[in-house]
Amino acid sequence: MRRLHSESPTWCPGCGNFSILRTLDSALDEAGIDRHRLVLVSGIGQAAKLPHYTRANVFNGLHGRALPAATAIKLANHGLEVLITSGDGDMYGEGGNHFIHAIRRNIGVKCFVHNNQVYGLTKGQASPTSDCGMQTPIQTHGVMLRPFNPLAIAIVEGTPFVARSLAVDRAHLQEMMVAALKHDGGFTLLDILQPCPSFNKRNTAKWYRERVRPIGDDHDPTDMHAALDLAMTWGDEIPIGIIYRKKGRPKLEDLNPVLANVPLVEQYAG
Amino acid sequence: MDLNIRIAGEAGQGIKTTGHLLVDAFASMGLWVFSTQSYMSRIRGGLNWQDVRIADYPITSSREDADLLVALTAEALATLAEEVTEGGLILYDGNEAEGAVAIPFTDTAKQRGKAIMANSVAGGAVFTVLGYPLDPLTGYLDEVFQAKGEEVVQTNRDLVHRGAELASEHAGALQAPEPAGAPRTVYDGMEATALSAAVSGVKFVCAYPMTPSTGVFTWLAQHDEQYGIVVEQAEDEIAAVNMACGATYAGVPTLVTTSGGGLALMSEGISLAGMHELPVVIYLAQRPGPATGLPTRTGQGDLLFALRTGHGEFPRAIFAPGSPRQCHELMRRALETAHRWQTPVIFMTDQYLADLSLNMEPLDGSVRPIDRCIATDAGEGYRRYEITESGVSPRAIPGGDAFVVLDSDEHDETGHITENLEIAQAMMDKRLRKIDGMIAEALPPELYRDDDGAETLLICWGSTYLPCREAVDILRMRGISAAMLHFAQVWPLDRDAVRERIGSRGRVVCVEGNAWGQLAMILREQQLLGDAELLTRYDGLPLTAAEIADRVEG
Ligand SMILES: Cc1ncc(C[n+]2csc(CCOP(=O)(O)OP(=O)(O)O)c2C)c(N)n1
Ligand SMILES: [Mg+2]
Repeated sequence: MRRLHSESPTWCPGCGNFSILRTLDSALDEAGIDRHRLVLVSGIGQAAKLPHYTRANVFNGLHGRALPAATAIKLANHGLEVLITSGDGDMYGEGGNHFIHAIRRNIGVKCFVHNNQVYGLTKGQASPTSDCGMQTPIQTHGVMLRPFNPLAIAIVEGTPFVARSLAVDRAHLQEMMVAALKHDGGFTLLDILQPCPSFNKRNTAKWYRERVRPIGDDHDPTDMHAALDLAMTWGDEIPIGIIYRKKGRPKLEDLNPVLANVPLVEQYAG
Repeated sequence: MDLNIRIAGEAGQGIKTTGHLLVDAFASMGLWVFSTQSYMSRIRGGLNWQDVRIADYPITSSREDADLLVALTAEALATLAEEVTEGGLILYDGNEAEGAVAIPFTDTAKQRGKAIMANSVAGGAVFTVLGYPLDPLTGYLDEVFQAKGEEVVQTNRDLVHRGAELASEHAGALQAPEPAGAPRTVYDGMEATALSAAVSGVKFVCAYPMTPSTGVFTWLAQHDEQYGIVVEQAEDEIAAVNMACGATYAGVPTLVTTSGGGLALMSEGISLAGMHELPVVIYLAQRPGPATGLPTRTGQGDLLFALRTGHGEFPRAIFAPGSPRQCHELMRRALETAHRWQTPVIFMTDQYLADLSLNMEPLDGSVRPIDRCIATDAGEGYRRYEITESGVSPRAIPGGDAFVVLDSDEHDETGHITENLEIAQAMMDKRLRKIDGMIAEALPPELYRDDDGAETLLICWGSTYLPCREAVDILRMRGISAAMLHFAQVWPLDRDAVRERIGSRGRVVCVEGNAWGQLAMILREQQLLGDAELLTRYDGLPLTAAEIADRVEG
């Protein structure tokens, strides 16, 4: 990927973000996305820096606030492809409320969450998805809170596309990214398990590799109960693939009569 | 002469409906009308009222006493009777009441139609005691109910006449002003603002409801298809302001509406708009704080907060209109300023101004979208934050040939994150430089009745404008040499223009709807104010002209 600026990624050696960045580049090409009509939206965190290393329009906003900005960008110009790439802390922690409401809106944005189960940028505190017992400089007695389950929440709230992949399995990741990019049903969630060699010594690349199991053809992704079973499976086995995919929910941008003809920005007469 | 009518009762009794009816009917007669609302924060019960003041000369503020009280409950009668002037009159919705003329508005309405039509009965009675013909009233009702069919129109007409009959013993009991050729069009501050936003080209409105800002949000939602506006109710104010950043980035003029508590939640997002250099405009309708404060009351306690909110240093403008007409003019100016200088702008009003209505010449309702100041020729090699002399960089929007890159981290000219401190300094200077251009086009404060270099100067901002102006008129009638200096733009200040207008006076009085005199604090900080007295009110009610005049006179 051609970089537009001199500073190179500030990620640690072995960080899953490198793999996500490279895979995203090929996935965008494979999905035939016009970079000039692509906006990458992110919050703050190590994951959220990814847009800087791409060729695209970039809205790198505040920690936790990628979703409201992305929602409005899509409403203002629904001709644009709006893709969020941000961390688990950004999306499920600071931005948790927006996550729920973006699903309710079913706004047609793609949301790729780099889920390293830790706050990387701020040096290793627990994130909402950290496993119970994980010790950190703050959670000195181990994480006592039950991990947040983004996939189960997303399914229950009716997200039309819910998938999970692994940063270091590039073939699988690319397949999931392309499927997500091509999906046109509204809010699209891809949770990417991502090793953080510096701050998550528990959920390492090896740990993930030993556990992930691609979801078999026998799974019916339109079956909410089956999907929930997969979403709640964690531990010795972690299913990856398209967990839930359901047609039929209208997108917010399709419901608003003001947007019926041309994108809002093109309606501006001044 | 003038006359003040107070309609009081519980929430849910249709006080506003009756108020509107009277306001529009009086305006259609050519009387000058000025109406304000006093509400408790509840949906049912309590004691609310609306004042409708009429005159044969233009009036610009409310009065604390009333010449005619229309009491819809026993509580309204008990509480407000003492504020009725000598020689005044009380109409009471019931069968008997001491010291009042009892007319069963509601029961009469129920017999002929529905309880909600009680306002027509009351209207008939009010017009009768004022000695006015009923035509303007029935004419107005005909217009309003036309769509509901002949039967509804006829019932309302009958009820107006029935109200008149019931009050006939007191026909003409109050001396009322003669029609004076006043304009028929009535606006409140809320509508004047919302209309201006719509015709100036606002295309996206996002907010989380909060009294007293919700009126503008609602108006725009109800006109969305007419003007082509996308209205989104955000999950919270943090979402609202970040949506505004996203929408303006994508190229559509955007308005966020809120009150003080919501502004507090928006603080980080306002700073983002400063950093991203986005034209985010916030409509801030104040109510008293701290915290939840008095949700339905008025105040001017958020000026310093609006000026300081958002971490870090970045330019901003603050407008504070003083009348519905200024609301209309300044909402447009706020949008233009934000787009020209690519920075957040706060438009400050309050419950008093948002809710007050008066008649005036029609506002310009033609659609005239503002210039968004967008660079249409940006292509390969475009730099969103190009260093320029004015500090303003060409703003392209995504979707064209140029990549538009924004970062909330400090960034280089291309918009990409940087930790190069030389670049950081240059970027800070570039953004901050914009304030010079903003100062050069800042609105100077308006002087009122200072032709003779008045001895006493009343300084005010925002909604205190109309009462202060009328106070100056009263003081002059009492032989006191007084003038007013009103700030409709509170930030940034053209210091020379301000200094020249304050001049040297025998006495300077800062008139504000807050406890500490927040404009006075700003003026002192800017070394623009010497010795000055404070005249403040912060009990949730607006300052009135009479009160200001009396307190200035001492
Ligand atoms: C309002 C606010 N609070 C806190 C921070 C500090 N902060 C920046 S990123 C971050 C957490 C990042 O975690 P995550 O989103 O998982 O990203 P990662 O670095 O792990 O990729 C925090 C707490 C901030 N920038 N802004
Ligand atoms: Mg993380």
